[in-house]
Amino acid sequence: MKERWTESAIGRGMSLGKLGLKLTGSYLGYQFQELFLNEEAKKESQSRFRRNTCRQLKDELLALKGPMMKLGQALSMQDHILPKEMVEELSALQMQAPGMHPSLARAQFKASLGKVPEEIFAKFSPEPFAAASLGQVHKATTKDGRLVAVKIQYPAMASAIRNDFKLFRSANFAARIPGDVIDEVEQGILTETDYLHEAENIRFMHRGLSPLSFVHTPEVLEQWTTNRVLTMTFVEGAPLASFLSKKPDIKMKNELGAHLFELFLFQIYVIKALHADPHPGNYLFTADGEISLVDFGCVRRFSKKFADLVECFLKQSWLEGEKSFDKMMRLMWAPGVSVNDKKARAILQNEIDLINMVFPCAEGQLMNFADSEIFKRGARRNTDIFLARLAQPEFPFYERAEVGLYTYLRQLEASLDTKNILCKVMRKRLAPTRVE
Amino acid sequence: MFRTTSDCVFEVDEGCLPVNHEHTHHLMKTKSSSRSELPPKSGSKRSENKQRIRKAILKAALYLFSKQGFYKTTTRQIAKKARIAEGTMFNYFHTKEDLALYFFEQELVGLMDWYHLESDLEDAPLVEKLFGIINHHLERISPYEDFVGAVYLRSLQVKSKLSPLGLERREQALRYLRFIKEILEEAVEKKEIPDKLVEFGPYGVGLFHLAIITYWLNDCSTGKENTLALLDRCLKMGHSMLFKQGGWDW
Repeated sequence: MKERWTESAIGRGMSLGKLGLKLTGSYLGYQFQELFLNEEAKKESQSRFRRNTCRQLKDELLALKGPMMKLGQALSMQDHILPKEMVEELSALQMQAPGMHPSLARAQFKASLGKVPEEIFAKFSPEPFAAASLGQVHKATTKDGRLVAVKIQYPAMASAIRNDFKLFRSANFAARIPGDVIDEVEQGILTETDYLHEAENIRFMHRGLSPLSFVHTPEVLEQWTTNRVLTMTFVEGAPLASFLSKKPDIKMKNELGAHLFELFLFQIYVIKALHADPHPGNYLFTADGEISLVDFGCVRRFSKKFADLVECFLKQSWLEGEKSFDKMMRLMWAPGVSVNDKKARAILQNEIDLINMVFPCAEGQLMNFADSEIFKRGARRNTDIFLARLAQPEFPFYERAEVGLYTYLRQLEASLDTKNILCKVMRKRLAPTRVE
Repeated sequence: MFRTTSDCVFEVDEGCLPVNHEHTHHLMKTKSSSRSELPPKSGSKRSENKQRIRKAILKAALYLFSKQGFYKTTTRQIAKKARIAEGTMFNYFHTKEDLALYFFEQELVGLMDWYHLESDLEDAPLVEKLFGIINHHLERISPYEDFVGAVYLRSLQVKSKLSPLGLERREQALRYLRFIKEILEEAVEKKEIPDKLVEFGPYGVGLFHLAIITYWLNDCSTGKENTLALLDRCLKMGHSMLFKQGGWDW
């Protein structure tokens, strides 16, 4: 795609307007064409039209960079309301803010903390080492010799996001999306612009995950943290691809896989919160099979209802009798949504199949995650649940983390004694170090 | 009669940078020697003393301006604060406006000195250099924001010495334009921009600089981060509109 620069609000407005024109243009073309097409060609053309439109939408959002990317990404999680083609295109988006040159990063640091980085740190690298949600991360060394990561947000992100949402609401393709969904997405993104919120997430997860000795999370250095600048201790590790490039043996891969699996179960059953951004840059691995988590902008804590639901899924409690089944229904469905029993039972049966697959019945039997069957089943389960408009607010996050986990395990080609790991997690849950 | 906007702002008759020998000589100077544009450093003690008193008066004035505002401060108060006789003060500055002019001159000299010593910017792309210069200027004047705001309002009066139409500002404007021209010439050498831009580019940068200061004066965001975003986005957008593929046809 030709590079386009549309950095100002006006530019963004124009670009979105152009998108509207393109959609309208191609839709008209499609309508016209339809007069001459037979049934079969019509169907194919319709799908192609939608895919083309979605690609245009993605390209426009890519050209806009910044918060609109985030919007596209967030919308891609709402796949129960958007057409399948659109979700596929939108999922390709990565959250990214415009890059900052050293002078701007320094100025933004000063605008937020009142001092330039050199006054605070013994060493500060002017070039970022990683892109982060809505900003970038710089390496620094504190005066007492600690290696830290300093995350700096691009200036005025929150107001840019509000502006973008104003434009987005007026764009014609947004009319198909319910207003409250847009509000919720906006609120979610605005929360991510507040690094103090992320700092709170880091503290929460650091405390919560402390019983797992193989997981490392950063610590926040509060004195140098504001809503726009987040200073935290540096955690070691490299993305999975570079872990695999060193050709670790199968034992090491299985050990790492077991750690990942335990980390996931520990999050959902013990601390009842999820690091729900399994982006390859956010899970870092050391050569000895330990895990470092970074970027806590997207941590979702479960409501009581969702925590109960996860528990019921595990215990398959709805099979215990009508009363339990009714309870399950209440947990799953939002008030006022009616789904017939047959459909509900079909969804739950899918769930049982999936659980049985991940946790084979026989003692000591290993689950081989290199198999792609689990993806298919998982995907079917998720689609069913969404189609039944079951989506509790936590569900997209849960799904994202789960798919991320299976992707990692598949890349590792891990075979795990999943039941044993589950038992281990349950034992830890009962241990006195339990986190409230 | 009024002339075109860019002429008005910088009060240059020819509509482009002056071409007399003295000026071309300046432009041909190397980076380090351009600091010789500072007020002449005469060896004589008398002149040094004069400079010292000027600076003392400015310091006293800035203190009072920031404490009680530009309009409420009288020349008598300034003289008292600087510990000189009011008559002596008159030898240096006739009005508060003269003081403001001196302030801006000093700031400009300071800004140029800073730029020439800032090694980080030496190899930076043009966009970052201009960002650095304008942002550093804002940082320098930020302790005197109220004063700068008052001066801005005052300068809107055509008869004011501070008006961009005033002859008194001509020298400053030229110095600024030469400074920017020098930077643009470096960018031409590095093939960042076409050489056609060197002639009128400085006026564009100057107008943009003024616009950013105006926005900055009205920016209520934390740490004035809205100004940072505007500055960065405008520079990047301007650069790409003018020079990137699909932009202006040169």
